Amino acid sequence: MNEIPLIFFLWVGAFLFATGLSIILIKRNVIFVLMGVELMLNAANLNLIAFSQGDEQNQGLMMGLFVLVIGVCEMSIALAIILQVYRRFKKIDIDQFQSRN
Amino acid sequence: MIMNSPLMIGFLALTILTCGSAFFMLWTKNVLHAALAMFMTMLGLAGFYVLAFADVMAVSHLMIYVGGVLILILFGIMMTSQRTSKSGQANELWTEQKGRFWAFFIGLTVFFGLSWLLGQQHFYAFSDIDEYSKLGRVGLSFMLEYSFPFELTGVFLLIALVGATYIAKNHE
Repeated sequence: MNEIPLIFFLWVGAFLFATGLSIILIKRNVIFVLMGVELMLNAANLNLIAFSQGDEQNQGLMMGLFVLVIGVCEMSIALAIILQVYRRFKKIDIDQFQSRN
Repeated sequence: MIMNSPLMIGFLALTILTCGSAFFMLWTKNVLHAALAMFMTMLGLAGFYVLAFADVMAVSHLMIYVGGVLILILFGIMMTSQRTSKSGQANELWTEQKGRFWAFFIGLTVFFGLSWLLGQQHFYAFSDIDEYSKLGRVGLSFMLEYSFPFELTGVFLLIALVGATYIAKNHE
């Protein structure tokens, strides 16, 4: 069986990471920024899975499964916070928030 | 030659799908189109997991991201409707962009820097890949040596969901 060289997975992961970083930097909508964070998380996760291809003990795979669950937790709490922020400010653009003190 | 194998052709198709939709996410200004592009990216990533012999990961990734996170994002887009006076639509989906040049520059630098850094090393995977599914071994690992992190993750998920429900409720 001929498998795919490991470096190709790493290149795809690097591309996804750079794209997620650019999305975080460019976009002003908070939900959009959150999507960029998800993209970066999955890019890192792809590396874990790719490195544990032939591992007997599946260490990277188990770590990837845990990362998946943590990512879901982060996403649900972040969306709840965004909802609460929207109720208070009526905006979800990043540079329109100002502290009320 | 490895370039002609069907596995490699599938990998190239998945690369085009994943990287194309990720770049479309970066390019578009419409939040809903970006959510759709994220769906395509997650499909491509599940394909990558299959090609990396991690079928358990692929199935759970599809179920969690396409079934859960994408629905959450769509609900988030719907419930934070921004009405502006200049567009008469019910929901303003276009997002602002700032500092386009610098973000592209930083993204390109990170990509080429990471590629150069990865090219310096010579990674190779373990070659003793058996053709069976990893599901049985993953289940055994969850019950044996990863039982404590497994329980901890379950409790963490419960706390996170209860906390998210509490945060999202109307406090007034």
